[in-house]
Amino acid sequence: MQYGATTESWYVAAATHAMDPLERVERLASENAVVIFSVSTCCMCHAVKRLFCGMGVHPTVHELDMDPLGRDIERALARLLGVVPPVVPVVFIGGKLIGAMDRVMASHINGSLVPLLKEAGALWL
Amino acid sequence: MANERTLVCGVQGSFHTSTKFFDEAESDYFGELEEALIHGDPITSSHGPKKGIVETARPPTLEIFPSWPMRHQHHQHPTVEQRKSEQSVESSEESGSVKDTANTTSTGVIGGAQSQVQCRGRGATEGEAQKGLVVIMANGAPQRTGAQQPPPSAPQIQYDNSHTEKKKIIAGSTRKDGKLLDAKTLRRLAQNREAARKSRLRKKAYVQQLETSRIRLQQLEHDLQRARTQGMLLAGCGASSGEMSSGAAMFNMDYTNWLEEEGRHVSDLRAGLDAHLIDNNLSSIVDDCITHYDTLFHLKARLAQTDAFHLLTGLWTSPAERCFMWMGGFRPSDLIKIVTPHLDPLTEQQVIRLCSLQQSSQQAEEALWQGFDQLHQFLSATLSSGPLSTDVGADVSNYAGLMDIAIEKISSLENFVRQADHLRRQTLHQLREILTTRQAARCLLAIGEYYRRLRALSSVWATRPREALIGNETASPNTVTDLQAIQQSQYAHYSAF
Repeated sequence: MQYGATTESWYVAAATHAMDPLERVERLASENAVVIFSVSTCCMCHAVKRLFCGMGVHPTVHELDMDPLGRDIERALARLLGVVPPVVPVVFIGGKLIGAMDRVMASHINGSLVPLLKEAGALWL
Repeated sequence: MANERTLVCGVQGSFHTSTKFFDEAESDYFGELEEALIHGDPITSSHGPKKGIVETARPPTLEIFPSWPMRHQHHQHPTVEQRKSEQSVESSEESGSVKDTANTTSTGVIGGAQSQVQCRGRGATEGEAQKGLVVIMANGAPQRTGAQQPPPSAPQIQYDNSHTEKKKIIAGSTRKDGKLLDAKTLRRLAQNREAARKSRLRKKAYVQQLETSRIRLQQLEHDLQRARTQGMLLAGCGASSGEMSSGAAMFNMDYTNWLEEEGRHVSDLRAGLDAHLIDNNLSSIVDDCITHYDTLFHLKARLAQTDAFHLLTGLWTSPAERCFMWMGGFRPSDLIKIVTPHLDPLTEQQVIRLCSLQQSSQQAEEALWQGFDQLHQFLSATLSSGPLSTDVGADVSNYAGLMDIAIEKISSLENFVRQADHLRRQTLHQLREILTTRQAARCLLAIGEYYRRLRALSSVWATRPREALIGNETASPNTVTDLQAIQQSQYAHYSAF
């Protein structure tokens, strides 16, 4: 998977708080079971939030437009995903990058999302 | 032919024949076959110089010597040398009034003869005649043979004005057979002529109307054909929209082709199932079918970049499909509900997987729908911000800023349409994963047949019998029958002719 190598580098990164956006992303992503990077006015972000809430998950949402460093984070995310901004919403589960909306949808449909959530401790059934 | 059309139409009826005898050399005549036939009655010669009469036995060219002498001529035109040889008949009679008649009839009796006749009024009636005269092409040596009747080849047909007729009657016109007619008979004949003339005019007008209608119909059919191939017409419902973007039109055309091919895939599936093919072969048919759906989603994704509205409003589908559409297509959980009964027997594992698929697709649909709804709320708030009662011009900058925000919001429509299609595509693929090959074949067959029935419902509904079905029905099958009905009613109207 194309994101695999990048993911490994995160675990190698220093645990100290770094201003490097990528590291910040990684730090934020690993703080909670489900992390969503979003923009408050984005309707697709709203959709993904509703999706998780509908499943009973309580994701941690970082509104990039409220964050002073938001633009850097967005650029970093774009680099991660290999697309041009705007890139939100971006979902991390258990510190692992899941992707944008279509990846989340696809993984939900093919049944891989729920096990991931359970594994990350976001869902109990 | 020009000479056919240039017959007198709408003239006040003041046509006079000119007597070469009286004028100089030329005289112009109007000829009418029916006129000739009417004039076939022998007219007594008591009214003066007698012109030749048309014999009913001689249809195409007529020689009708005017019954009344021409007073004077104002326009000299070369008379027509008609081909017939009625000449001889007339010359015997034509002692005094000689007329050259150009013989042209609206029925094209004079086949090909170029006759140029111009009627002009004479005396008091000249003005009238001038008004409505029609010039008919003529060629032919001018007849200037004084007392000599029109040249041997020129049939003479007289076209008389009933007004002058009486005068001429008094002047004493005789028919070629020498019989004298009394005033009453002549009046009757004149009235008959008038009636016949009017009848001919009406018939001519009707024929012209028919011609133009026919041409228009041809053009319409041609345009229809062209527009269909360009995809401007929807498959099955014939609605036309002048505001469709070019991308939308192209998409409609592509979709029509896609539907045709989907029909082929469905029949392949049916044939494969009936033939009890081994799984490998059936599997390839099934995979082809799924790939075919993928191409549709690809087409839609491409259109979404330029015209998401077209996908969402569903103008590319039939009305029934459009009515129950969800975000530009089918609702995946509905589809699962539709196909599940046709997949029996299912293993327990399959049942569980199908259930969870249904549940996840429902959750995904709900999430997308909520996002879409929020888009709508944002858009509403944006467009209604600022004073709604003021005119645009009053606050242009605010309006422009408002529009910018709104446009930015609308741009995410593309995202939603694409995510919805993505969801549909994922659902189909997951179904393929869960089901066996035969079950997948049955599933795709069921989907294809379901939507075919929905489309058929649209056209059946559109073509259901209704009263006063003229003009603005959108279903194309109606158009032709409507036109036929109109044409039949037109025929009935003119059946008197």
